[in-house]
Amino acid sequence: MKSFHWMVAVIGLVLGIMLAFQFRFTREIQRFESVQRVQELSTEVSQMKKDRDALQTQVNALRADLDKATSGPQTQDLKEELEKAKVEAGVSELSGPGVEVTLNDSNISLRPGENPNLYVLHDEDVLRVLNEIRAAGAEAISINGQRLLATTEVRCTGPTIVLNKNKRLAPPYVITAIGNPDTLESSLKMKGGVAETLQFWGIQVSVKKMSQVTVPAYSGGIKFEYAKAAG
Amino acid sequence: MNKSIYVSVTMVAIILGLMIALQFRTASSIDRGVPYGREQELTVEKRQLDRDMEQLREEVADLSAKLEEAGKGYSEATDAFNSELLKIKLYAGLTAVEGPGVEVILDNLPENTRPGVNPYLSPIKDDDLLKVINDLRGAGAEAIAVNNQRILATSEVRLAGNHINVNLTKLTAPYKVTAIGNATTLKSSLEIKGGLVEYLSDLGIVVKVEAKDNILIPAFTGVLRFDYAKPTQRG
Repeated sequence: MKSFHWMVAVIGLVLGIMLAFQFRFTREIQRFESVQRVQELSTEVSQMKKDRDALQTQVNALRADLDKATSGPQTQDLKEELEKAKVEAGVSELSGPGVEVTLNDSNISLRPGENPNLYVLHDEDVLRVLNEIRAAGAEAISINGQRLLATTEVRCTGPTIVLNKNKRLAPPYVITAIGNPDTLESSLKMKGGVAETLQFWGIQVSVKKMSQVTVPAYSGGIKFEYAKAAG
Repeated sequence: MNKSIYVSVTMVAIILGLMIALQFRTASSIDRGVPYGREQELTVEKRQLDRDMEQLREEVADLSAKLEEAGKGYSEATDAFNSELLKIKLYAGLTAVEGPGVEVILDNLPENTRPGVNPYLSPIKDDDLLKVINDLRGAGAEAIAVNNQRILATSEVRLAGNHINVNLTKLTAPYKVTAIGNATTLKSSLEIKGGLVEYLSDLGIVVKVEAKDNILIPAFTGVLRFDYAKPTQRG
């Protein structure tokens, strides 16, 4: 009678384990599929990035070719006009003296009850720094290698920022700007200026004057769907 | 009596078995999961890359056509140059543009401009305008102007005393921000609950957003000067 008890118990145990494993396997298959899907997607995305960069190189080369092919008949004035328009449009890679501004989240350790939101770098802070740099006469600006255009937005999403519609950047944010290094540096570092305000919250701001920085061309297509040339 | 013992022993054993197996499962699968949202993020990124590539291909086709044209002769080369110049000027904001979009008018409440009346209200600051511009850019605005000052990649919006400087030009309230793009998207990006219109109203700023079928945004009228930036060999 006693051994019969034990047998029932063992059978029950085995049955339970089998049930659980069965359940687990079904779940595991789904989970595995999603891992695979993400891996596929990320290979696809990195391949597409390579393709995009190749296309961008092709566009740059074509622009240079076109410049050469059409340079004969044009006056110097027109050529200069095109050159300036390209700089402003963000479609040419530029270099020159300037500054490198590095922004990073706060290194202050919070006391309990304090609002952590105050010590985190926000899109507004980045906007303010960029605005200050523009006001100081920056001629071309990029963040982590992303060129800033007239249409570039800066958005916070979680710990990262997104700009140029879907270029995701992670801290530290390195802003590269071409312009007068002294003017740029002093406009950021002036008393009561943007660097001081941010440093109050422990956000790490460093401004480095550089004799030579490079700001890349905008990588991606530009197309206006709604705005048409007037007149 | 005996039967009920069998039943309860069986039940206990089944539950025990389930628990052991579940425990094992949780322990072994912790490091295998995919972070939540990663797949969505990649899908969005892929879609954006698709769009980028499509636009780049159009650019390649356009440039190739011009290049071919330019090879034909003197006058064709001039035409190709001029049409390329027009395109780049359009991108840069050096051409007046028109299209559908929104008009956002920001003004101070009458009591807002007199200091001391209500310390919680403040007149419109450069930050407020920057936020409006940034939101419009995020919603896909293709051209933006503040009081007819075209916003370029290098434009600043800066408080200077009682007025705001844009492109080194003094502007005063009311500020009229115009943007060309999808009017519905632009409008709702500002008017969304908890969005900028609500935030600015709380500060005592009167905000009016109006969708328009056709808006004219003037070209940048200042002088472009680049004393420091020089194109690299590759550019």
